[in-house]
Amino acid sequence: MKKYFITFILLLTAGLLIKAQSADLLVTNCVLNAGPNARYLKDFRVQLAKGSSDGELRYKAQMSLWKNTKYRFSLCNSEDSNGKLILTIKDNTNKIVLSSFDQKTGKTYPYVDFICNRSGIYQLNYDFIDGQQGSGVGVVSMVK
Amino acid sequence: MKGSLLFILFTVVFVCCSCRNSSNKTTEFIFPEADSVPIGESEQLSAEAIEEISKNISSPVEIANLLQMMSVPFSPDYLASSIDPNKQTTAFDKAFTLGILGADLGYLNMYEKTGTSIDILSSIRKLAEGIRVGQFFDFEAIKRLSLNKSNLDSLLFLSIDSYTQIDKYLRDNARGQLSSLMIIGVWIEGQYLATQVVGDYPDPILKDRIGEQKIILNDLIMLANPYCSRDPEYNNLCGYLQEIKEKYRDVRITYTLGEPVSVEKEGGLVITQTESSKVDMTDEQLKEIIDATKKIRDKLILNN
Repeated sequence: MKKYFITFILLLTAGLLIKAQSADLLVTNCVLNAGPNARYLKDFRVQLAKGSSDGELRYKAQMSLWKNTKYRFSLCNSEDSNGKLILTIKDNTNKIVLSSFDQKTGKTYPYVDFICNRSGIYQLNYDFIDGQQGSGVGVVSMVK
Repeated sequence: MKGSLLFILFTVVFVCCSCRNSSNKTTEFIFPEADSVPIGESEQLSAEAIEEISKNISSPVEIANLLQMMSVPFSPDYLASSIDPNKQTTAFDKAFTLGILGADLGYLNMYEKTGTSIDILSSIRKLAEGIRVGQFFDFEAIKRLSLNKSNLDSLLFLSIDSYTQIDKYLRDNARGQLSSLMIIGVWIEGQYLATQVVGDYPDPILKDRIGEQKIILNDLIMLANPYCSRDPEYNNLCGYLQEIKEKYRDVRITYTLGEPVSVEKEGGLVITQTESSKVDMTDEQLKEIIDATKKIRDKLILNN
């Protein structure tokens, strides 16, 4: 019995380690694939279970964006995700200034470059299309 | 008593709604500034709110990037390299200095001054170990990437990610006061760098960036507020932040509204924001901000 228990714990630990490593690998690859002129600033690691598809994006974070800066928002999905990672950004008046997902055509973009002309604190909203389950990473870089 | 409370509540709601409506009708408005952040309010901030605030603080890498865009040459004079990590005795000193040197590391990395960054890395290592967060800093990997100039992005990622992990660990382990100090240290050094450079290179974009720091100043104060009465060191820091805020009181930030323009390019989307912000700051106001920043940064470093 004790032997089975130890084996179970070892397998669980190994599984968790592999999962953590693959998440790190996803972040690293996403950072390195942002482009030769992109300089890493921040990343947001998004892991969501299946939710409703009412259009409200579930993962929310804030970030200051500064005038006269070109930002690149890259979106990367892990292989086991059911949906594609999408992003919308709202300003402090709750107005959408950017979306990586075209609701009319259903098209998604793997990255969005944003030429910022208004400094302020913005809300970044991530989710997977139609509230699908998934894990992914959103990387924010500056483009030179 | 109950009637008075209802009256106050009604008045507050009415005033708030009135302000919101009026701002929607105009195409330009003055940046709203709360005169003070009540200490009681910030003490009630949730862990999530503090995490949000810590993410709002601009990265020193962005300031360094701006300086490069302006073709400002690298100068070691702006660095706090004279700091001796062995002389940082209190946790306050260690965490604050960790922030200061983190900003310097960002500046060095962006300019690829790897020789100097190795010295700063050694100091960072000692300080991080001093507050028992050394395990989050992969010094050997960062050092290797610093010496091998081929991969700047990996270097930036590892350096910034280490600080992010330290920050999260401190907050998760009821040591949020040290996380706040580190973030404030990063901001003060970034602000010091920008204000020192603008004296030699009075570029309007850099001037604007300094003026725009008003946007996040309240957030910084919110991070410090819960600890202001902890001991004299924290109390002094809170006083210094209020002093900087006072210098920003009459700096105005106005916004012009507009709709974003988007075009598809090489498989991605490029969005240009037509809405813009404008900073109104006199030379005298700028000088006061420069002087206050230098005085406070030097005091905090020399006190160490």
